Amino acid sequence: MTQQSPELRRKNIGIALLLAGFALLVFFTSVPFWQGITRIIGNQAGG
Amino acid sequence: MSSTTLTHDDAHHDEAPTFWRRWLLSTNHKDIGTLYLLFALLMLFLGGASAMVIRAELFMPGIQLVDPDLYNNLVTNHALIMIFGAVMPAAAGLANWMIPMMIGAPDMALPRMNNLSFWVLPAAATMMMLSFVVPFFPGGGTQINTGWTLYPPLSVQVGMSMDFLIFAIHLLGISSVLASINIIVTLLNMRAPGMTLMKMPMFCWTWLVTAFLLILVVPVLAGGVTMLLFDRHFGTSFFDAAGGGDPVLFQHLFWFFGHPEVYILLLPSIGVLSHVIPTFSRKPLFGYNSMVGAMLAVATIGMVVWAHHQYTVGMSLGAVTYFMIGTIIISIPVGLMIFNFIATMWRGSMTFETPMLFAVAIILMFTFGGLSGVMLAVVPADMQYHDSMFVVAHFHYVLMPGAVFGLFAGIFYWLPKWTGHMYNERLAKIFFWTNVISFNVTFFPQHFLGLAGMPRRIIDYNVMYTEFNVLSSAAAMVFGLSHLLLLYIVISTIRGGKQAQSKVWEGAKGLEWELDSPPAFHTWTVAPTIK
Repeated sequence: MTQQSPELRRKNIGIALLLAGFALLVFFTSVPFWQGITRIIGNQAGG
Repeated sequence: MSSTTLTHDDAHHDEAPTFWRRWLLSTNHKDIGTLYLLFALLMLFLGGASAMVIRAELFMPGIQLVDPDLYNNLVTNHALIMIFGAVMPAAAGLANWMIPMMIGAPDMALPRMNNLSFWVLPAAATMMMLSFVVPFFPGGGTQINTGWTLYPPLSVQVGMSMDFLIFAIHLLGISSVLASINIIVTLLNMRAPGMTLMKMPMFCWTWLVTAFLLILVVPVLAGGVTMLLFDRHFGTSFFDAAGGGDPVLFQHLFWFFGHPEVYILLLPSIGVLSHVIPTFSRKPLFGYNSMVGAMLAVATIGMVVWAHHQYTVGMSLGAVTYFMIGTIIISIPVGLMIFNFIATMWRGSMTFETPMLFAVAIILMFTFGGLSGVMLAVVPADMQYHDSMFVVAHFHYVLMPGAVFGLFAGIFYWLPKWTGHMYNERLAKIFFWTNVISFNVTFFPQHFLGLAGMPRRIIDYNVMYTEFNVLSSAAAMVFGLSHLLLLYIVISTIRGGKQAQSKVWEGAKGLEWELDSPPAFHTWTVAPTIK
């Protein structure tokens, strides 16, 4: 495996952790968020 | 694009590890790219086999070959295997092979995670195959007969094979998200000095946008199928109206993923075309900045139009109108990309090797699919088209040319670079013409079947639809079998052929064409400088 400088490696892992955290945030918040959206659209349809 | 200065001779060939270490524990982007592509090729044949059984069943009215539940399972599996097993891994394979070579990086940013991203896929495929096989055994429960959209309440009631599929989808999602993280970090951090974002090759741009889309929407699908799992086994009622939930909630969750997914499938192929067309027109890509803007617009607008897949579900007039307007607007940036390709070809010095043949076919047929998409976008019209064969025709016209043919173009374009051998151009052209003509004969009649009222996802149909189904099925057999020729061409090119030059194609430009064909095990160990 080709070697990366410690600074580049730290930058790579930092951005990767940020993106992974964002993906997890989307995963966990998808439940209440989408329940709310469905309720709003459903209420509009109901009048 | 700008010119390059090589600061180091990259002709040294270092030793690759031995077999198990090389393939099971690979941290080399070229080998991992090869693994993705081989996996995708296998899945292409598995997904294609299910399609051929479907079309064989639909050859005549009546139920001849398979029982209805198995038929619906084949329909489900065909879509899941093609989308998650063939197209996405093939695109990831192209990304792994080409992105580091194009940006002057020695490898991907996170090579071990790259390996994990691939090896999760065979596990996921095994779970998906188990979901197909389990119902054949006593106590195995019912087949998954929901279609790839997995709508509850049916998906809550299906047997244990659904649990295998949910697990498979979780694994596929993990693979996609990890690969996307790797691609984003690589493109942001590992570009050669002097290569700004606006000097980056277009294939890299399309993958940057695709990777962000994947990170945004795959977790929502994961959330949706997790909620499905909870409804199935842990007593929740997310999708059960009797318990205070709503089945339509799943649809919103699914299609929030499902619509951007079609752009995830499309954009890498647009990236391939952005290289193929300039090469064989011997002109630079027209409108680099507008291409970047258009793909950002497609990605952004594509995130907020999901419910055009759900017009008939009972939303308010305001909601369906909003989604209709957004869906029609998205045709503008997509059209802009097509116009840029045409402008690239305009007054170019064109030759029509196989990659370029696929590129021209894509422009024509994808545009045609887009036109039927604009028809579907209109809400009152969609009340007629929804769940008919017209939709099946539409999405095959956008996905086959837009995704699969794009990948074929990329494979023919880059195979000489990967293997060091030219493929057999005559055989490749035979493959192209057989494939494209049979594709059109298969799917064009389905527009008329849909308009005449034939529903989708049905095992039997009214006798008045017989003739077009016979035509479609006969052509589908030719279409399916033509892929055996692709397999032969790929295998024979790997095994030998005329030696390929570093710059395989006369009009090719980019860092990847500075490298040997095949490239060394490690390339760009010293980064080039971009002027």
